[in-house]
Amino acid sequence: MKKQLDLRGLTCPEPVLKTKKVVDQADVKEVEALVDSEVSVQNLARLARSQNLHFQSSRENGHHKVLISKDQTGTVQTQSETAAAATRDGAGGTIIFISKDSFGQGNSASPEKDHDFSLNLLNVFLQTVHQSGHEVRAVLLANSGVKLMDPQSPHQQVLSDLARGGVEVLACGLCLDYYGLKEKVKTEQITNMFAICEYLFAADKVLSP
Amino acid sequence: MSNNNPKDLSSNDKRLTSNVKAAGCAAKMSSAELKQVLAGLPKIKSANLLAGIDNFEDAAVYKLNDDLAMVKSMDFFPPVLDDPYLFGQIAATNALSDIYAMGGKPTLALAMLVFPTCDLPLSTAAEILRGGADQVEKAGAIIAGGHSIQGAEVLYGLSVTGFVHPEKLLTNSGARAGDQIVMTKALGTGVGLLALKAGLLDEDTKGMLVSSLTTLNDKAIDALAHLGTNTCHYIHACTDITGFGLIGHIQEMSKASKVSATINIKHLRFLPGVLEFARQGLVPAAAYGNRKSFETNVSYIKDFPLEFTDLLYDPQTAGGLIFAVANEHAEACLKALNGSGVAATIIGQFLEGIPGHIDITMN
Repeated sequence: MKKQLDLRGLTCPEPVLKTKKVVDQADVKEVEALVDSEVSVQNLARLARSQNLHFQSSRENGHHKVLISKDQTGTVQTQSETAAAATRDGAGGTIIFISKDSFGQGNSASPEKDHDFSLNLLNVFLQTVHQSGHEVRAVLLANSGVKLMDPQSPHQQVLSDLARGGVEVLACGLCLDYYGLKEKVKTEQITNMFAICEYLFAADKVLSP
Repeated sequence: MSNNNPKDLSSNDKRLTSNVKAAGCAAKMSSAELKQVLAGLPKIKSANLLAGIDNFEDAAVYKLNDDLAMVKSMDFFPPVLDDPYLFGQIAATNALSDIYAMGGKPTLALAMLVFPTCDLPLSTAAEILRGGADQVEKAGAIIAGGHSIQGAEVLYGLSVTGFVHPEKLLTNSGARAGDQIVMTKALGTGVGLLALKAGLLDEDTKGMLVSSLTTLNDKAIDALAHLGTNTCHYIHACTDITGFGLIGHIQEMSKASKVSATINIKHLRFLPGVLEFARQGLVPAAAYGNRKSFETNVSYIKDFPLEFTDLLYDPQTAGGLIFAVANEHAEACLKALNGSGVAATIIGQFLEGIPGHIDITMN
């Protein structure tokens, strides 16, 4: 039997309590719950996981639809929300890992010009990746590579083009902090070393220009 | 003294917590929001201001002369449970804690109360104030007045003034690489209060939660003060764990002190039942907010159970103190604390590394 619950407008802990009550009924095989906060979704995910049940959530018209099912067993969630994406829906793919704000190192008489050239070269690389149509799962930025995320950076355009094409663009939080950029970057684009490791290990291919 | 029945979730709309969306320190603005609203304020520079908002200190400290500094703090929040007397006690414990976290002694307090006189009986307000007053008396301080206004939602707290010798001041910026991290209370008041609201706590578990919430941090400070002539030589930093959770407050300390930190999850103490409640999804909204704010600077060992990390971000109300103690004195401090009835443990260490970076281990 499938049960539907409308838990919109309720505040924590009620959505989780009401859902648990229904999930605990032996004849209920599936629960579909509507909730209006991300917190409720996360709490219901924990409830499902604690009972080894399948959990699925989707967003529609300003609320979230949660599906908890007893017919399939659940997967173990990783402890890091930021790392969760790394192992979600068909991990692997091609990862571009950029750990400095240049493409190689120049070697002319002027180190300053060298840096500008190497920086521009990185931009050309990212443009080419974008236009080539190669499938890229994520662009991960670390160390001075996170400077590309500066809203004033000339790389902003190509990074948002890539993001619009479905590429995850993520920057290391420690590094953003170090370069004083953390407040300037959207929280969903900030990640941690744990997640970066998860992405790299799950990848089919890692490109590091 | 208790007039609440936590099993009864919806029948009485006059419950103290019925209008409350986020309870206690879980009601705090997020770290990012706070940074944003404070950004426009002028920078305060005063030779006598020993601690201000720069490093997100627990209280402001103003030097009066070479032997005396004034410690001032203010803290208030909406009800965390339905018993008004207990709420008063807890809010006062939480407000007094900021003074202890600076190494000070509270002396004088003023109460502030927002109260909907149309919705709730005046006796409820009286009970809140009585709980607060009793707790302030326990701390050896006095409440000498305050301010009250009408409002839709109950808010109560204290502005507390205390004193400290300027050389014995404990800030959160003095931790050094090699220092041991000592924590004085068990974690989990955020999850525990949510489980209480849900009516899931038995009397024993509730008793332990309430006892933690109403335990002053004075004993810890006293125990260390009696240990030697100048504890500041080996207690390098101190803060109390409140709304930003263990990780948030350790991160503030490690950033302010320019060291990294490692925490061994096996050495953490948790309130009874909270790991299981977190596992089942009783995690307060502010814990997710804290995770968002602070997780980017945290590394874990793979495959930790999620409920452990949830509790690292759990917002604490009237939480314990964290001390950064010189490595060679850590055991003596721990002994002194345990000897005074403070169940402190060493939970990790500050290290040379990236400021604000926290490594969570389990060995």
